[in-house]
Amino acid sequence: MMNYFPDEVLEHVFDFVTSHRDRNAVSLVCKLWFRVERFSRQRVFIGNCYAISPERLVTRFPGVKALTLKGKPHFADFNLVPQDWGGYVQPWIEALARSRIGLEELRLKRMVVSDESLDVLSRSFTNFKSLVLVSCEGFTTDGLSAIAANCRFLRELDLQENEIEEKKNHWLGCFPDSCTSLVSLNFACLKEINLVALEKLVARNPNLKSLKLNRAVPLEALQRILMRAPQLVDLGTGSFVLDHDSDDSETYRKLKATILKCRSIRNLSGFLEVTPRCLPAIYPICFNLTYLNLSYAAGIHGSELIKLIRFCGKLQRLWILDYIGDKGLEVVASTCKDLQELRVFPSDFFGAGHAAVTETGLVAISTGCPKLNSLLYFCQQMTNAALIAVAKNCPNFIRFRLCILDPTKPDPVTMQPLDEGFGAIVQSSKRLRRLSLSGLLTDRVFLYIGMYAEQLEMLSIAFAGESDKGMVYVLNGCKKLRKLEIRDSPFGDMALLRDVGKYETMRSLWMSSCEVTLGACKTLAEKMPRLNVEIINENDQMEFGHEDSEKVEKMYLYRTLVGPRKDAPEFVWTLV
Amino acid sequence: MELQLGLALPTNPTSEAFDLNYYGFEANNKEVDRVIGPCYTSSYEEDIDDIINIDNNKRSFGQAFENSTRDRVVPRTLPLLLWNNNNHPSEEDDPKDLENHHSLFAANKNVGDGDGDGVVGWPPIKSWRKRLCHENQVVRAWNNQMVENGYVWGGRRASNSMYVKVKMEGVVIARKVDLSQHHSFETLTDTLMDMFRKWSEACEKNSNNYKLIYQDREGDWLFAQDVPWRTFIRSVQRLKLLKSSG
Repeated sequence: MMNYFPDEVLEHVFDFVTSHRDRNAVSLVCKLWFRVERFSRQRVFIGNCYAISPERLVTRFPGVKALTLKGKPHFADFNLVPQDWGGYVQPWIEALARSRIGLEELRLKRMVVSDESLDVLSRSFTNFKSLVLVSCEGFTTDGLSAIAANCRFLRELDLQENEIEEKKNHWLGCFPDSCTSLVSLNFACLKEINLVALEKLVARNPNLKSLKLNRAVPLEALQRILMRAPQLVDLGTGSFVLDHDSDDSETYRKLKATILKCRSIRNLSGFLEVTPRCLPAIYPICFNLTYLNLSYAAGIHGSELIKLIRFCGKLQRLWILDYIGDKGLEVVASTCKDLQELRVFPSDFFGAGHAAVTETGLVAISTGCPKLNSLLYFCQQMTNAALIAVAKNCPNFIRFRLCILDPTKPDPVTMQPLDEGFGAIVQSSKRLRRLSLSGLLTDRVFLYIGMYAEQLEMLSIAFAGESDKGMVYVLNGCKKLRKLEIRDSPFGDMALLRDVGKYETMRSLWMSSCEVTLGACKTLAEKMPRLNVEIINENDQMEFGHEDSEKVEKMYLYRTLVGPRKDAPEFVWTLV
Repeated sequence: MELQLGLALPTNPTSEAFDLNYYGFEANNKEVDRVIGPCYTSSYEEDIDDIINIDNNKRSFGQAFENSTRDRVVPRTLPLLLWNNNNHPSEEDDPKDLENHHSLFAANKNVGDGDGDGVVGWPPIKSWRKRLCHENQVVRAWNNQMVENGYVWGGRRASNSMYVKVKMEGVVIARKVDLSQHHSFETLTDTLMDMFRKWSEACEKNSNNYKLIYQDREGDWLFAQDVPWRTFIRSVQRLKLLKSSG
């Protein structure tokens, strides 16, 4: 029936189909739909930049306006992937520029970005509006200068946790006076900033809704900025520090008054440096906060933290350090009834002693916050009983990531592995999409995951399992699995090769410090030409003389339509 | 067989196998139900076993528990750790031994990620976050009285000192210097040269003949003069004075 409509009608209908998956499904219906869909597609998501080439992107979607690209494997965040592994954005920008694509938005994660890339980007797309860089590296503030200077309609510049070399230039001053279109600016990951340029920029951008400052912005400047931008919805403070000098009490008084005018703030973060006695200044805005991120605020402890939380009755997302303690989590549980997402980060990375949060805090949260659906919890210990209680109280988990600082620690009460606890979680949360395991775990937990985690898309395994069976349970049972990353677990060739077709249904598989041998990887690569099987071999200089029986230290495989990548460094071998 | 979830409905366990009490578990929380459906079908597990060709001597999962035996297959590949569910915490196994095994496990791993402690890439925290927390600790060592662009001289000092080791090429004994007393490379190099001049005759008089290098948190050695003072002070772990060539 739809075939009798002109293409424009189909296109109009497809406008209402927005999610990537739905559009992908639409494109598979028939050739006509494929054609209409591809010309009308504006937003493209590429989860692995090596799965497809820039040229093919441009050929298929000539109308693309917004592109998301991800590069390095997730474990690169934890130093498991060597420098220069890859993930360069340059070829993408060049291809888009050459093809006169009208790119407006670019979002990159874990990619290598150069100043040259940013320069080309800034000059090639006249309507460019939004640049979001997350965990990227390879560029300097010179690249930011190009973006500031050349993107006349820039609305968003969001730099999250990037490694940026800061030069002496004042890149912020490169925004021309005519730039008045900014809506979102985040430079929290930089160490320096030109304060004068910043204040002027804020003053002439009345549509600014999201502003995240860095540590170089002192309290006095924050006060002046907030005076100019009371319409902010999203604020990341810089340095929230007052010296002991008396003229600062004037600053503090002014700040308090200014903050009272900022009635729109719903998201608050920053506090990279903080003097706790300044915190009462923000109490008035706490009542309306839906997102509070204090995970960098090492200066806020114990009772000040708890006092602050008590004002935040509407919180939906809370990111904090484990200074909050179990007692503090009880306060969160009784205050934040709408809480959906909780992330508790460790302050002491080596678990050297103080039991900051334990299973008690988590159970308290689950009891008080039944809407909880996303959890990241770093703790000293966990028990099966607690996990079972949490599973019962909160059956809506979409993301559940537990990290016990000692990675093979059993339930300290029973000395049992945590299989039952995690089993309860996967059984009760039927919509679970992401899971990270830790603690002492046998193959049994994987049996449960394979049986119950039907919607699971991403699984992170470390120091877990006893035999190949564990991995097989997961590969066999989790039909929607897309990303599997495993480190230091006894899974080997049998598990790897049992169902080679499975990997084409997934984005990628990472295995490091497991029992997989070179021979098995070669076999896999041979059988599956549409997988790139990459071995990362950091310590070895010699390419020859490797036995097939040798264990592979790091393997990363991913499905791809474009064969082995040409930019792989020396220490990455792509098996064919 | 129907899968029974202990979560919502009261159920009668049809097998003792998944009764948490069975494992010597003392429920702290009285409301804990038996969650893992005691009559889950073992057919899933058996399918996998058929395909995998397990050792016939090994009991399958279902067998182990339907027989209500108290013995448990000892896991083959758990490093350093041996446990079976016969033990109640108060009995044979001293929990402390298990603790020791864990720390031994941790200590045996590589320590290559520059943190100097623990396992590479564990705990899984972004390096960016780790670095920021470390910086917070260093910056807090500086008194809040330090002003960003002007340095405070005479009188006011950082409340915490920051000693790092310094080695000069050609001099056997290393020294220590308190970096919290310094705000620029000039004063630092002058102090270092004085320090070594006093104690070693082998050291040359001219400070221009030496280059200052430092080791950062990642373990890399860098030229101090190549970075801004602020970057240096936040990541320096130790110092070396190298004779500059030519």
